[in-house]
Amino acid sequence: MADTFFSCAAGLEEVQTLAAHLRDRCAALKLADDAVIDLELAMVEAANNIVLHGYAGHEGTLSMAVRCADNTITVELRDHGVPMPAEMLWGDRPFSLDAESGRGIAIMQSCVDDIVYRQEGGINVLTLAKRLRSAPAT
Amino acid sequence: MTATGHQDDITVIDVDVDRLDAVAAPGLKTRLQAQMEGSPRKILLNLDRVAFMDSTGLGVLVSLIKMLGKDGAIAVTGAQPAVRRLFELTRLDTVFRMTDGMEEAEAALRG
Repeated sequence: MADTFFSCAAGLEEVQTLAAHLRDRCAALKLADDAVIDLELAMVEAANNIVLHGYAGHEGTLSMAVRCADNTITVELRDHGVPMPAEMLWGDRPFSLDAESGRGIAIMQSCVDDIVYRQEGGINVLTLAKRLRSAPAT
Repeated sequence: MTATGHQDDITVIDVDVDRLDAVAAPGLKTRLQAQMEGSPRKILLNLDRVAFMDSTGLGVLVSLIKMLGKDGAIAVTGAQPAVRRLFELTRLDTVFRMTDGMEEAEAALRG
């Protein structure tokens, strides 16, 4: 099945739209419910961080590509916001039981198998990859 | 967004949003802060209409625990799979009393 691509303004309400597109793509691939839940959680946390910290109130765009190959779903988010310190993704981040914020990256780490962040010509590229227990529909 | 009622010593909160996320969370927190003034310290939180919750929504629920103080307690009922998954992976299912129905939630708060 071909890659899917979606682009929108970088806003929290638009993250809901991205999530809907991701769920539609997962439904087309007939992914298991638990995999869809984890992919949506990871993508939403990543996209929220881009909107709130990368753009921090400034206008911009956020694009999402979803790919499926070798029993792995890859969600790639691209933005033009302030770059993220790559070390934020390094190592395990324990969950606080009383903090009201700061769980986003740890949730991403828990929900997908690989997280890769890079910059390409001033564009931030965050890739979330989740390996599937069984082959998706083609 | 929320409906609040009382059953004796328990405040019942029905969260009436499909997605408790970064869009909905700030409004919910404001309403909870207003509604909890003078209310009982035991909360039955019904999430059966919430299909998805992110860390922002979860943060509001953590703030609710803090509003209640050390004598407060929250029992959650109606958590759909995506919501329950978030509680479990963040280990907050050890802080909130996760239950499978209103009666079980009431019993957990009164037990």
